[in-house]
Amino acid sequence: MPKLLLEIGCEELPAWACEEGSAQLPELCERQLRRRPAEVYAGPRRLAVVVDELEERTPDEWVKGPPEALAERAAEGFARRHGVAVSELEPRDGFLGVTVPGKPLAEVLPERLEQIVRGFAFSRTMRWDERGLRFPRPVRWICALLDSEPVEVPVAPSGRVSYGRRFTHRAVEVPSAGTYAETLREAGVEPDRTARFRRITEGLDALGGWSDAAGVLDEVVHLAESPVVLEGRFDERFLQLPERVVVTTMQSHQRYFPLGGNRFAFVADGGDPDVVRAGNEAVLESRLEDASFTFERDVRKGIDRLAEELRAITFFADAGSFADKTERLVRLVDRLGGGDASREAARLAKADQASELVREFPDLEGAIGAEYARLAGYPEAVCAAIEEQYLPDAGGGPLPETEAGKVLAAADKIDTLTVSFGLGYKPTGSRDPFGLRRAAIGLARLAVEGGLRIPRKLLEPEVRDFVEERLEGLLDVPVEHARAARASNAAELREVAELARVLAALPDERLDRLHTVFTRAHRIVAKAGDQALPEVRPELLQDEAEVDVARALAGFEASAAAAGELDAVVAAAEELAQPLERFFEEVLVMAEDRELRRNRLRLLADVRDAIASRLGDLSQIPR
Amino acid sequence: MAPTYQETIAALQSYWADYGCVVVQPYHTEVGAGTFNPATFLRCLGPKPWKTAYVEPSIRPSDGRYGENPFRFQQFLQYQVVLKPAPADVLDLYFASLEHVGIDLLRHDVRLVEDNWEGPTLGAWGLGWEVWLDGMEVTQWTYFQQLGGMDVELVPAEITYGLDRLAMHVQGKRSVLDLEWAPGVTWADVYLENEREWSTYNFEVAPVDVLMARFAEHEEECRTLLDRRLPLPAYDMVLKCSHAFNLLDARGALSTTERAAYIARVRDLARSVAQLYLEVDAEVAA
Repeated sequence: MPKLLLEIGCEELPAWACEEGSAQLPELCERQLRRRPAEVYAGPRRLAVVVDELEERTPDEWVKGPPEALAERAAEGFARRHGVAVSELEPRDGFLGVTVPGKPLAEVLPERLEQIVRGFAFSRTMRWDERGLRFPRPVRWICALLDSEPVEVPVAPSGRVSYGRRFTHRAVEVPSAGTYAETLREAGVEPDRTARFRRITEGLDALGGWSDAAGVLDEVVHLAESPVVLEGRFDERFLQLPERVVVTTMQSHQRYFPLGGNRFAFVADGGDPDVVRAGNEAVLESRLEDASFTFERDVRKGIDRLAEELRAITFFADAGSFADKTERLVRLVDRLGGGDASREAARLAKADQASELVREFPDLEGAIGAEYARLAGYPEAVCAAIEEQYLPDAGGGPLPETEAGKVLAAADKIDTLTVSFGLGYKPTGSRDPFGLRRAAIGLARLAVEGGLRIPRKLLEPEVRDFVEERLEGLLDVPVEHARAARASNAAELREVAELARVLAALPDERLDRLHTVFTRAHRIVAKAGDQALPEVRPELLQDEAEVDVARALAGFEASAAAAGELDAVVAAAEELAQPLERFFEEVLVMAEDRELRRNRLRLLADVRDAIASRLGDLSQIPR
Repeated sequence: MAPTYQETIAALQSYWADYGCVVVQPYHTEVGAGTFNPATFLRCLGPKPWKTAYVEPSIRPSDGRYGENPFRFQQFLQYQVVLKPAPADVLDLYFASLEHVGIDLLRHDVRLVEDNWEGPTLGAWGLGWEVWLDGMEVTQWTYFQQLGGMDVELVPAEITYGLDRLAMHVQGKRSVLDLEWAPGVTWADVYLENEREWSTYNFEVAPVDVLMARFAEHEEECRTLLDRRLPLPAYDMVLKCSHAFNLLDARGALSTTERAAYIARVRDLARSVAQLYLEVDAEVAA
């Protein structure tokens, strides 16, 4: 059975395009050739598939025509269009139709392969010539072979020609679909991502002790067609720079792998190793030299003077400078109950915004400030808090480890959220340029996972809703239980979380009972119009049942106030159930006497409010 | 003997002139990059083929370091090549130009690393690469996709060589300051004092109020010129606005939101100029 090769030859594709392309190729082949590829290749200059065991012909196809019932009127036209006699039409499921015979594979391939090339959905594409094909980078050739016969694909020059490694090899003729990979290997190209990946990691392992915090390996694997791992060194005097600066310089600018100390590994794609090594060492040293200049200027100034310069740096237009932000942070840290270390850290937290190094490496904000605080001799608790202030900075990222760090991180997020919402910069759809969702999730996690006491009253209503909506998403409880808990008057964010968990963990029959008491009281009061009612007057409580409820309510208030654990509050609330059930049976709430009626409504409203404030709005939970 | 800086420039000039480029000269008002030269921005609009090459001094006030840092300067030289439309062998042409200035491609590691370009003040973007030579970025490569907020009709390739870096590579120098510009004359001899004085001006002396007023005047004049249907002088006003903005930025006079507002004002002008340029160009041709 025939074997097909399709290679799309490109100018250097970005790594993401290699990944997207190779991920989509099996599906595209399935759709156009009814067979998934046996081999998929991806690299900077090519995306390719080899598809085995193709059918020699496309299958016969039955084309549906008019319903049999309309044969007299429509059959002749349909038959004529398909070049057959009416007598040759076949009925099937009440319709007339015609079998269109399949075609030889070679005949349909040009169009099918074109459909594959045009069928990708890349996240970013470009145009480059009048043909109008869109691809992440220009497609310059197509190498397509059915066994050993070239296939013409009308999107680019096509045939059996492919291209080997740049500079050392030029055009190569691929003899047949089955010899694609070996032909390219002879031409200096390793087309298989996995093989290149292995070659790189083996090279790195041989050097030992490599790290890749920034994850550049996934990009580097698509930056070379014939990767070689080389080792370089830089002058040891650069080791006085903060390690994060050295690592970021290596990784984000140069895609190098730190090997510890002054050694690094990098992946080259050919050249004379000594020449290439010397070149890369010189580049890294000039970048580190540049960073050193900046670092030394900052250190000469010192963190305290940097902090003084914050008045000149705008945080948000209309929300003052970073100095204003600093003052707010110091106040917030106090209100969050932070100690001396967190107050000192808050004072210095934003100082690095005035540093040249942060302007150069914005991702290192916090880490740079911490380093400068250490150099100025501040206690480690202060420095650590400065370093941790932006944590957690990713969905599942780590929280600050120190207490002062947690407090400062929370203060920073509260301030950013409050200011942004105050100025009307709320996230819409996928647009969230100030990272407010991340800040809100971080804040909720500091409360829930970090155990930080974050008073809800520190959050403006809109911000509080925004944060608590994220909190709902973090808890492993049904969203209705979380919503019910949010309606309680729990003083802290983490108490909302605890309450939601307690409600969700409550056995059904216990929750049912509380729910019934709450919703019945709620419904009656709501139906009566929820008017302003005077305080309950004990002298108007006539029936024993209503006296009992009043007594039980007072008991609940007292034990709830005394209870340390939520479970005890729940148990106390359950004590309300029996008196209330009796009340609903025996007492006519809507008495004719106005005073009496209002007194009873007020009693029920008090029960509802007492439960709601302690346990939340139970009516949110569907029963 | 490695070629001097001026010999490297001359080699590029002759290579691209031989290829058929119109060799124009640097523009006469400050630009942040060769892209702003009308020989690129305006000529890349519309349906007419165009090939050009030229040296462009890039003026970026914020990047000055008083000449104290041997890798950062408020002025550096670019060599700009534009081929519109981009021929299918454009990369090979580029690689051959490196050989032409004396780089042996078999001994070095040449890489094209994704780097997409966006010029917010010009309403322009394109996709391309930075070209690495043994890890050093020596060229910025862009296939323009939009200019002045409009899709390009013919896709041009813009090849921007960082001349300082390329020459460092060719001469094996570790500092720009040490580059041999002409026999016995270094880069520092030619430009070091210039860096010191302009950095002082850009960061300390440039008058903020005057620059703001100047920006507004140029903006106003640009609109007048647009009304008079004079896109070429109007475009100079865009460049002058853009430079005033860069200076204000270097003086730290703009907040993040003000910055965005200034960029939007320049972009609006650039769009109007681009549209008018196409209209007038079509009228002249008719």
